[in-house]
Amino acid sequence: MQAKPRASWWTRVGDWLDERFDVRIPLQAFLKKPVPKHAIKWYFCLGGITFALFAIQGITGILLSLYYKPTPNEAYESILFIMNNVRFGWLIRGLHHWSASLMIAFCVAHMLRVYITGAYKKPRELNWVAGVTLLLLTLAFGFTGYLLPWDQKALWGSTVGSEILGVVPLVGKALLGLLRAGADITGLTLTRFYGIHMLVLPLLAFLFLGVHFIIIRRQGISGPL
Amino acid sequence: MSESPDESAQSAFNHPVSRRGFLKYFLLGISTVATAGGVLTPIIAYLWPPKQAAAAGGGPVAVGATSDLPVGKGHVYSVANKPVLVIHTEDGFKALSAVCTHLGCIVYWSEERAVIACPCHAAYFSINGDVISGPPPSPLPTYQVQVQGDQIYVQGG
Repeated sequence: MQAKPRASWWTRVGDWLDERFDVRIPLQAFLKKPVPKHAIKWYFCLGGITFALFAIQGITGILLSLYYKPTPNEAYESILFIMNNVRFGWLIRGLHHWSASLMIAFCVAHMLRVYITGAYKKPRELNWVAGVTLLLLTLAFGFTGYLLPWDQKALWGSTVGSEILGVVPLVGKALLGLLRAGADITGLTLTRFYGIHMLVLPLLAFLFLGVHFIIIRRQGISGPL
Repeated sequence: MSESPDESAQSAFNHPVSRRGFLKYFLLGISTVATAGGVLTPIIAYLWPPKQAAAAGGGPVAVGATSDLPVGKGHVYSVANKPVLVIHTEDGFKALSAVCTHLGCIVYWSEERAVIACPCHAAYFSINGDVISGPPPSPLPTYQVQVQGDQIYVQGG
């Protein structure tokens, strides 16, 4: 003869919210999708791993921004300061560095999985487009972040990389000037890349991640091969 | 309601938490705390004020050349991360804490009046750090200062 056990606190919080907003059923329909049997494989986790790496980039990036100084005179010094003086600075920067490379690798691996399993086909064409946009955004993150340490590798890597934009027919030189904020890589390029890396790309990434996830939940995972 | 023998035995003892439940929450709790600690410890340590370049062991710190500080001048230097006011008087160099003992503003050497002044609440200190006027409750602590060659050294710590 046991009394009915008291519901756990999170169930009661959920009840309280549901009583007021009536969100439990619509949210459950969206959040509680069973994973189909054919999709319980490690290679269906590649997109999720990419997102986990994106989350790590967000957290470590915010932490790095607290010490990084985006000016030509101070950028490299502030990186040395993070590495040598800030507690666990080496760890936070190391995580940001390695997760950046891994994120591109997993993004491409996820894309290959989608391609091989044919998951891009109708009705999922637009989610493929959103995914490719996210890959391009990831590459843009990598390209703009590469300049920020402001060492020789960063300077010449960005010089060579941005040079590619200059060969676009007719407008190439104008685009290159727009990207570099001048004829070559200067302090203006540094702040420009910093702003793109810290504000423009994260906002766009959140937007397209939202679209990507809403579509996958709406359409479900593609069928077995 | 039919209960299995296990459950009725448990309810007889009236344990609010079963052995299985205890183990579940105990192990879940330990792993949660360990994981959260492993992630949060580096982050909190990272946010903690980082160590700045400072003289090891509080020894004398070179703050500048004597030629930068002619007689009658005073300047605030950073000694072991603390602001120190060094004044070149006719009797040699004096070093005092530049943190006003009232509310912590950084004091400066007023050359024309030959006093140490605080910009925040019109406090004045003598060259030895004693309060002349204003709200500070105590004099400015002094530091040992010495000259070796053309360099001014302040004893940090």
